[in-house]
This record gives sequence, structure tokens and C-alpha cells, in this order.
Amino acid sequence: MSGHSGSGVYLRIGIVLCVLTAISWAADEMKGLFQSHALLAVIVLSVASLKAGCVMLWFMHLKYEKAWKYVLLLPTTILALGLPLALAPDIAFHYYSPDVPQNPLSESSNIDGSTRDPGMNH
Amino acid sequence: MEAHATHKPLVAPKMGLAISNAKLCMWLFLGTEIMFFTAFIGTYLVLRMGSPGWPSDPADTHINVRLGGLNTFVLIASSYLVVVAHEAMSLHNFRKAWLSILGTLLLGFVFLGIKSVEYYGKFSHDIIPSHISESEPQALSKLVRELDQSRAAMAEAAGKPADGEQAAAPSPAFLKLEQAHASLKERVRKGEVPLYDSAAATGSHHSLNPELVQLLDGLRADPEISKYLKVHDPHVMVYGNTFASCYFLMTGFHAIHVIVGMILWVIILLKGSRLDATWSDFVENSGLYWHFVDLVWIFLFPLLYIVQFGS
Repeated sequence: MSGHSGSGVYLRIGIVLCVLTAISWAADEMKGLFQSHALLAVIVLSVASLKAGCVMLWFMHLKYEKAWKYVLLLPTTILALGLPLALAPDIAFHYYSPDVPQNPLSESSNIDGSTRDPGMNH
Repeated sequence: MEAHATHKPLVAPKMGLAISNAKLCMWLFLGTEIMFFTAFIGTYLVLRMGSPGWPSDPADTHINVRLGGLNTFVLIASSYLVVVAHEAMSLHNFRKAWLSILGTLLLGFVFLGIKSVEYYGKFSHDIIPSHISESEPQALSKLVRELDQSRAAMAEAAGKPADGEQAAAPSPAFLKLEQAHASLKERVRKGEVPLYDSAAATGSHHSLNPELVQLLDGLRADPEISKYLKVHDPHVMVYGNTFASCYFLMTGFHAIHVIVGMILWVIILLKGSRLDATWSDFVENSGLYWHFVDLVWIFLFPLLYIVQFGS
């Protein structure tokens, strides 16, 4: 991999990473100016993705590697996303509001079930 | 048949990838690491988005964005030194490589030092999974329990009388602490002590009940009691325990990875002047690992320190 890059490129990438970190920091310092938290989240996560791209492409040399990188990294990344995507519908997103529980048993805390809605017992 | 045997030299077919086995193994390992950390980060996001509330006030969580940001700079600088070391190894400038790795190791220590300061800040405020009060009754119960533990510690320090000796009379300070504990316990049991001052509440900000403030100030002002008094200012942090679990799980595993990386650097540094080209693969693969650790922190920093979605 040597010969593809050099200290000059590495130094420039290092400076870009520091500038991007400073942008995240500044965005947090100025968060009072943002109308919503979502905008701040989009900014700092976009900056983080850019930084990750710089590290992977230049510092980890993926820019210069052959196609094996896709064979090796895409399946692991897709599998890694499986767990959060599987958990998200039930836990992260609420189709029903909390006062209409999906599981009626969660409402009955007494052992004898006396608090359960009689309408459920049929 | 004989002609075939003489004209075609046997050449072993090229198998595998055009990279060293060591590097392939490192990338396979990093593939499992991607799944490892994505599971933690993904679960954190799911829990956070699924919780109706989430502690986001730095006064509660003791999250320090400046220290987190400083650590980001530290890891970026260390990653830069790693690529400088790798390049120096390729150019057979082993002294430069050794010095760059030394710099990386030192920055690893700086990272862990800053992380320790952050952890100390949380421990000293009892930001520990399962210790955090998520309701007013829990906060009051914790206060009563901590007063009881302080009272027991003071009694223990006073010493039990030896056989045949008469027990010394309890000191006025001990009686004061005991009385404070017993009185508060009874009144909390009867539901007579609110945690917050309802008259002074403004928006989401709550002021502690002045009676509790006075009680704690009085006990802390007594030099004899304050030596044994281990009481935290009571407050409620809804979903604080889930927050603390996620925070310590992710940053803890990341810190363990930093320590492992530092061990790899120490192995190289121990070669000293004997560092030569045979170590190029080791430096490169250790560098890949270190960059991955940097990569994880690049996402942990905004997700844990800055973003406040779902709150």
C-alpha cells in the first residue's frame, strides 16, 4: 500500500478530521440556536459519517484495496444492522400510544389478576 | 503421454486473496468487531428512541462534551501517528516508526486519563446502573438508606466495647445523625416529606425541598459527622439507569479496546532498536485495529455526548 499515499495526504486528512470534530463541537455549543434537536442530530451524525469515511478510506487504506473489501465488509455490516432493525419496530417506534397497551397482561400486576379488565376474560 | 509430461510445467494455482493472511485475518476480526459494536450502539439507539424520557441535562448525567471532544482530538492525533509509523516502516525508517508508535501509546494514556476523569465525575455523583433514583419515593428511600449507612459507619468507627468494659456514651454528633435518620425515615414512611419544593418549580426545573437542604447542610457542616457522611443530593433521573448502563457498556468496551491496542504498541516498542522490516505486517495490522477503535469513538462521541433525540 505504500506508494499510494504519503505523509502529506495523511496530514491533510488528519487536519480535515480535526476540523470536522471542531464543527461537531461548535454545533453542540450553539445548540440553543437550532429549532429542533433533529437538526443538530443530522449535522453531528453527518459529520461523524464523513470522519468515519476519511479514516476508512485513507487511514485504513480501503481506498486502495481491491474488491475483496466489499465481500468482507458488506455482509458483516448488513448482519450488524439486523439486530437494531429487528428491535426497532417493537421498542423504538410506538404504533400504539402507551395508554393502549399491546399486551393486556402487562396491565395486570396482581397475582390473582383482579385488576384485569373482565372484558378480556372470555 | 510422454510428450504431455515434458512440455507443461506444473504451477500451483494462485489461491486466496492478494493480501497477506495476517491482514485478511485482521479484517475478518474487524468484521466481527463491527457486529459487536453495532449491536451495542444499535440497542442503545432503540432503547433511547423507545423511552418516553431520557436524561439529557448535563447537570444530571455529568456528561462533559468538552472532555469527550478533547478525547476525539486525542484519538485522531494518535491515528495520524499510526499511519506515519506505518509509512516509516515501509521506508525502513525504523527510528521514526518507533517514535511515532511511542507517541501513539502516550496519546492512548491521555485518552484513558481523560476517560478516568469522566468516570470519576459519574462515580462521585453515584451515576451507576441501578443506583439512580427514577421516582421521588426512590430518591427519598435512597436518602434514608444513605443516612442509615453513614450512621452505621460512624458507630463502627466509634468501636465496640471490649468484654467487661462499659460502652462509652454515644457522642452528641452521633445522636444528631441517628435522630436525623430516624426522624426522616418515619416521616418518609408516612409520606410527609416531598422531594421537591412545589412552590419554587419553574418548567422542568425543580428545587429540592428546603427542609431536606437544611437537613443535609446541617449534617455536612458538622465536622465529626461529615467524616462519615456519604450522602448524595437526592434527585430524580427518569431512565437514568438505562442511560448509565448504555454509557458504561459502550465506553467501557471501547476503553478495553484502547487498552488492548496499547498492549500491541508496547510489544512493538519493546523491540527498541531491533525493530525491522519483519515487523511491518504487525505494525500495519495493529494500525488497522487502532483506526477501528478511533472509528468507534467517532460515532460514540456524537451519539452519547451531543445528540438528544427522543428526549
